[in-house]
Amino acid sequence: MRDRRRSRRPAALLVAAALAFGTAACGSGSGSAGGDDPNTLEVWTRSNPDSAATYERVFAAFTNKTGIKIDYQPVINFDQQLQSRASTKDLPDAMINDTALMGSYQGQGLLKPIAPASIAGHDRITDKTWSSTVGIDGKHYGIPYSRQAQTLMIRKDWLHKLGLQAPTTWQDMLSVAKAFATDDPDGDGKADTYGMVVPGSAQNGYAAWWGASFLWQGGAQIIEPDGKGTYRPAMDSTAAVNTVTWMKDNLFCGDNAVTQPGALTAVTSTATNFQDGNAGMYMTGPYNIATFDTTPGKDKYEVVPAPAGPAGGDVLADGENIYFGARTGKAKQEQALAAFLISAEGQKLAMTGENQPVVRIPVNATLDAAKVRADARWSVVQKAYEDASQQFPNAPDFAPIKQDTADALNSIFTYCGGDVRSQLAELNETLAGDLKDQDLLK
Amino acid sequence: MTATVTTPAARRGRVFGVLGKKAVVPWLFLAPGLLLALVFKFWPMAKGIWLSFFDVRPFLGDQWIGLDNYTRVLTDHRFQDAIGHTLVLGIGQSLGAILLGFVLALLLEGQARSLKIIRTAVFLPAVTATAVVGELWRLMYYPTSDGLLNSGLHLLGLGPVQFLDNPDIALYSTMAMGIWIWAPYNMVILLAGLAGVDRSLYEAAAMDGVSLWQRLRHVTLPAIRPALMIVLTLATIRGLRVFTEVYVLTGGGPAGSTDVWMTRAYTLGFTRNDIGGASAASVVLLCVTLLLTVTVNHLRKRGEAR
Repeated sequence: MRDRRRSRRPAALLVAAALAFGTAACGSGSGSAGGDDPNTLEVWTRSNPDSAATYERVFAAFTNKTGIKIDYQPVINFDQQLQSRASTKDLPDAMINDTALMGSYQGQGLLKPIAPASIAGHDRITDKTWSSTVGIDGKHYGIPYSRQAQTLMIRKDWLHKLGLQAPTTWQDMLSVAKAFATDDPDGDGKADTYGMVVPGSAQNGYAAWWGASFLWQGGAQIIEPDGKGTYRPAMDSTAAVNTVTWMKDNLFCGDNAVTQPGALTAVTSTATNFQDGNAGMYMTGPYNIATFDTTPGKDKYEVVPAPAGPAGGDVLADGENIYFGARTGKAKQEQALAAFLISAEGQKLAMTGENQPVVRIPVNATLDAAKVRADARWSVVQKAYEDASQQFPNAPDFAPIKQDTADALNSIFTYCGGDVRSQLAELNETLAGDLKDQDLLK
Repeated sequence: MTATVTTPAARRGRVFGVLGKKAVVPWLFLAPGLLLALVFKFWPMAKGIWLSFFDVRPFLGDQWIGLDNYTRVLTDHRFQDAIGHTLVLGIGQSLGAILLGFVLALLLEGQARSLKIIRTAVFLPAVTATAVVGELWRLMYYPTSDGLLNSGLHLLGLGPVQFLDNPDIALYSTMAMGIWIWAPYNMVILLAGLAGVDRSLYEAAAMDGVSLWQRLRHVTLPAIRPALMIVLTLATIRGLRVFTEVYVLTGGGPAGSTDVWMTRAYTLGFTRNDIGGASAASVVLLCVTLLLTVTVNHLRKRGEAR
């Protein structure tokens, strides 16, 4: 018996060695199509199939013009996939993703620094827009590609039926929301309508993403820069306490049906009540315009500036940047791609077509969103972006700050009996910890 | 008489024969499975354990920080809350799914053709993607009287119940969905166990005039103990690493009331980009799962020895 076992050992070793060799062979190489071809760029975007179709069209035009091929990968769970690829030190050559993630990516060393002057057509992007891609060390880590600001989408047929005007203040908004919820605006005789749509889950930081506009309109800030490269948490301010208290009392813990059912666990993909035709307002980004034009229908709703709070009408602005993956070694081709994407031709292609536009407000200052699309509603969005918007800070790693803020807001809105001041003081301590982890606490 | 001389070539042939037929062939059959396990299971697992000791920054150089990630994870009050939720959800879901699976197995045991159709229908939740099931249950739990469950309650003059938005019941709503998904899976294993029960024992029990409960307790349950142990082990592992059900249904909310260990680890890894911390959280889960599995196995062996 023992002899038989011994005789098997070499065979087992042989197989194990073969497996190890096979594994090593599988593990080598970039693992991506065209990874070693200098004339092929692997490009990732965070896109669903609809917006991916627009990107396909843009990249095809780029290849026609320059001969540089694009290995395009639309990735829905972008950050999960990016972290997996980062762990193998094999990043895509170029990525297009949210502006607010730049600090996070740069903090992990995933991005190649960029000299704006190396990108043809860089002077057509305003200094203000370029300033939003400056990292914590003063270098640029992204090229602006698309910008947007939140506006209020509101059912104009419901307003008309109830004899109301689009709201311009928080108080108006609350009155309209209550009327939408209680006065049967769809005329079906049932109490089955709601005032406004809220993606209020803490998942992926949604509560902070949606709530940020309210915080700014109420005069609050999540973190504040001190001008010397450090920040301090600011969610314990009186303005923050007043704003969050107003939101809690009026939107979540007040009269029923001001917000849609299930708001506290809703993310944007599950907050479909505006399309479904049972909620009358939705403060959201303009990428939804194409969807809403189909349902509930272009003639049923209008796009208006967000109602102003006590400190003004600033809304959340964000957008997408082009990022170059660290150590990819195809600088010239990447720069050519970026130059095309920010050119008037590239931006127009991405703003038009049958599918969802992937450039919302163009970063190319020679273009006007409303004119390119022949749709005046886009001027509301462009005006909101230019005149009354704020962005999440791009320099620090904002991901943990956004997540902690969302966790706290979701909890405050869930437990109506809690004390807002002490809950926000606790959040402030957590935010201080996040900043300290990044050596950025004042 | 001719002496038999073994030549070196013949010896080589025999050795090769032994290796070829008795040793190499089984290993070659195992090779594809081993290769897949090595590449997709053991190598990532080893890498995860390794990364749990680092501040992970692939392009800036990982920094060794020893047990800091473990300390951070284990002292984080959100992870501590998540332990409680994981245990409640894991135990409730496992026991509920085993109990319901056992009842289904008893009801659907037999050879009749109609039973086969019903068994297939009952088994469907186990082969449907959990994400799809989650979306369906979100609709069923819709918190107005338009929702499927709430419309039923409305007929009884009850509700509407905020199944997912009330932090006091959201965890139990998630548990109900988990039981619905996994009970049919347990049913199949228990059906296999029931098929092996010696029928003569039932006949003897019937002649002795025992009650249904006595028959279950003294005949059926002892006979299907191996199947029950398998189901229990699988349920323990599944219960601890529960993720998709929670992620799709509630995302851990509201107010973290359904956050479980895996959703916390996911948030840490992929929302906060803290791969080292997420690896540490996963390793802790691996250790607890191993410990529980070994304990269940040990208890099973002790039970068999008796």
